Amino acid sequence: MRACAFAFTALTLLPAHAEGIDVKSAALVQDDDGWHLDAQFDVQFSPRLEEAVNRGVPLYFVVEFELSRPRWYWFDEKPIQLTQTYRITYTPLLRQYRLSMGSAYQNFTRFDEVTRVLSRIRDWHVADKGAIKLDGPYQASVRMRLDTAQLPKPFQLNAIASKDWAPASEWYRWSIDNR
Amino acid sequence: MRALIFLCVVTGAALVYLMSEASSNNAFFAQNYKLLFYLGLGLAMGLGSLIVYQLLLLRRKLRERVFGSKLTLRLMVVFALMALIPGGLVYAISFQFLQQSIESWFNVRVDESLNRGISLGQRVLQNSLKELNEKAEAMAQSLASSTGSEAATLNRLREQHSIEEATLLTSRGRIVAQSGSEPVALLPDLPSPIVMRQVRAQQSVRSIESIPDRGLFLRVIVPVNKLSITDDIRVLQVLQRVPSAIAKDAEMVEAGYKDYQQLLLARVDLKRIFGLTLTLAMLVTLFSALALAFLLSEKLSAPLSALAESTRAIAKGDYSKLNPVKSRDEFGVLTQSFNTMTRQIAEATDAMERNQRQLENAKAYLESILSNLTSGVLTLDERLAVRTMNAAAAQILGVAEQAFHAMKLAEWPRAEPAVAPFAEVALNRFNTPGKDEWEEQLEYRRSDGQRTLLVRGSRLDTSEPGYVLVFDDITHLIQAQRDAAWGEVARRLAHEIKNPLTPIQLSAERLQHKLTPKLPEADAEMLKRATGTIVSHVAALKGMVDDFTQYAHASRMNARAVALNDLVKEVLVLYESMGVAIEARLADNLPLIHADPGMLRQVLHNLFQNAIDALTGVDNPRILVSTTLGTGGVLITVRDNGTGIAEGVMGRIFEPYVTTKPKGTGLGLAIVKKIVDEHHGRILVENVKPHGANVSIVLPLRAAA
Repeated sequence: MRACAFAFTALTLLPAHAEGIDVKSAALVQDDDGWHLDAQFDVQFSPRLEEAVNRGVPLYFVVEFELSRPRWYWFDEKPIQLTQTYRITYTPLLRQYRLSMGSAYQNFTRFDEVTRVLSRIRDWHVADKGAIKLDGPYQASVRMRLDTAQLPKPFQLNAIASKDWAPASEWYRWSIDNR
Repeated sequence: MRALIFLCVVTGAALVYLMSEASSNNAFFAQNYKLLFYLGLGLAMGLGSLIVYQLLLLRRKLRERVFGSKLTLRLMVVFALMALIPGGLVYAISFQFLQQSIESWFNVRVDESLNRGISLGQRVLQNSLKELNEKAEAMAQSLASSTGSEAATLNRLREQHSIEEATLLTSRGRIVAQSGSEPVALLPDLPSPIVMRQVRAQQSVRSIESIPDRGLFLRVIVPVNKLSITDDIRVLQVLQRVPSAIAKDAEMVEAGYKDYQQLLLARVDLKRIFGLTLTLAMLVTLFSALALAFLLSEKLSAPLSALAESTRAIAKGDYSKLNPVKSRDEFGVLTQSFNTMTRQIAEATDAMERNQRQLENAKAYLESILSNLTSGVLTLDERLAVRTMNAAAAQILGVAEQAFHAMKLAEWPRAEPAVAPFAEVALNRFNTPGKDEWEEQLEYRRSDGQRTLLVRGSRLDTSEPGYVLVFDDITHLIQAQRDAAWGEVARRLAHEIKNPLTPIQLSAERLQHKLTPKLPEADAEMLKRATGTIVSHVAALKGMVDDFTQYAHASRMNARAVALNDLVKEVLVLYESMGVAIEARLADNLPLIHADPGMLRQVLHNLFQNAIDALTGVDNPRILVSTTLGTGGVLITVRDNGTGIAEGVMGRIFEPYVTTKPKGTGLGLAIVKKIVDEHHGRILVENVKPHGANVSIVLPLRAAA
């Protein structure tokens, strides 16, 4: 089904951290519809963060994608800049976790399932077919982070002070060259 | 600086307000809390560094001992304490209060009741689910045993058990029949394959689902085991909506529980956030207060510094520095008084300087008079030591001006033996009691000859007792008086003698003329000799009388430009045959002088005659005449190696009838002196070693009019 005309994959060699977020792999795949992003993250919740979820604090995770082309005379051109927000909530009454993205959602009874689903992104449509000209080298970047701005206020200050409360991956970059 | 601090204070106040707003629940500020926090922190740090800078500034001023800096420090400390103590107290109390009030939100009973509420909700839901499960089991049994239309049976059973929606599916998940109280399906999705597998394993699946916007649903899926072998098992799914009242209550409980749990979790963080806000607010406030305190202290001590600077300026003698009066308080009054004082001092100093200048001028005037006086003036203190001595006094006495500075009169001869007679006379006179003023004429021997001095002394009875000596060199005056007297004598004598001479001569000639023929030859011869003697002596007398006349009558000078050397040569020609060699050394560069050539000739004749007379009977007689150009005019010297001039007459050599020659009227040098005087020249006669005399005459190039 997927005509892999061009597939650019890069595998990470970074060691998995105990807590926080890492990008394990990311690839941009082209098919008939356009360009899709497949990415695998390693998401490890700190105990405090997990406790916060269990006490009903909603967490928002943002996946950011950027495609840029270096320009020597000005800042890099960024033809594509996209974000996707995932929301994790817990309902104590039903003892259910819910991972939602926009209006779509999925319920889980176990937290590690939520983590597992969150860690994998498949078929994120990032560009239409003609959007990337591929006449020169591009650089793709992806990262995932906890949106600390949407945390309840008291926790925001924690996010300033401690990494536990603001897990974020580094930008994961790889280059795309058509020629 | 002031504007900066003001800005900081205003910004700080705004930030503190915003932060307190943000700490309460306000969506906008809550979102920007982080920014506000950083801004506040930055401001506090800025203010802190400002204060540090100010303190460093103050320390440098203290090190340099800038006036007023100590006062600034003290004021600053007072202000700072005034801000710190109440501020710190309020802060401590607020902090404590805050911590405790946050703690007081949480207590075990609320916690417990919320937990119970949740479990109550869960149990209610579980019960409903169990009930629904039993209904579903019953329905499944009925369905299994029924033989009619499955759809109809399902519908009947659903209504019988008052269930909202029931769906019958095949084991592969295909819908066989569906019945619902509402036309639309309640749940959008069908059981997942995992669930279906579970059901096929004869397990019922119960779940409570919350669907956004539609509420809570109970879902039970049970297997329907058909009795016939051929038929596959069916799967029954029944759905029941949780009554909205219960659902709402449960949600409320859940929301409360969530909030409480969040608060519980955030307790420490909340304390921290409020504490931070409070601390930041306090820091900004305190730092602003400190910065303001510094500013105020400086402002308060500024007039002092200005006054100190003015004082220093006055000490240096600069009275132009007046401080502007800025305030109307005591500082202003002080500044004004200071300015008044400065002005008064300036005026007093001016007056003093003016007086001093006047005094100096007066003194200088007096001194210039004294120094330009031709009379010698000498002031002595009461111990008879010299106080002042003008230039004329020194010149008359022939000593250096500072020679007797502060020296007692009695010690003078030791320093300068020549002044002994002068000092002796003055001492005697001053020491004679009873006479405050005296006058005496004395002969004073100076290196250039004997001078006659007229000395007047007087005792001063002013505030500073002392003595004044005024003396004049009256040598010239006496000389002139003597000259005038002799002129008169000569004129009268000439007149008286000349008158009878002609009759005497005529009578003698007549006697000879008349008596010679009548007398015997011997007698006639005697007569002739006698009358000859008479006539020749009369002629000599006549010559003498003519000389007197010439001396007595002031001859009229007929001056013109004369070449002195030519004149000398002309006169020398007449002496070529005199038997005495006259050597001439004439300078080539002599300019013309303004003089009467006849008179000059007379002078040269007289001098040569004197020299020749002095050379009678001298071995190897020589006369040297020379002319040179000197500073004051042309110098003529006539020098001989004759007998010289006797010491006794040296002082009166120019007086008439003073002579050392056996024959001579004594008028020669007197006439020379007279002519030289008429030409405004100077003459000096001196003896030379080993023997001989030297006469020097200086004639000015241009006779004074």
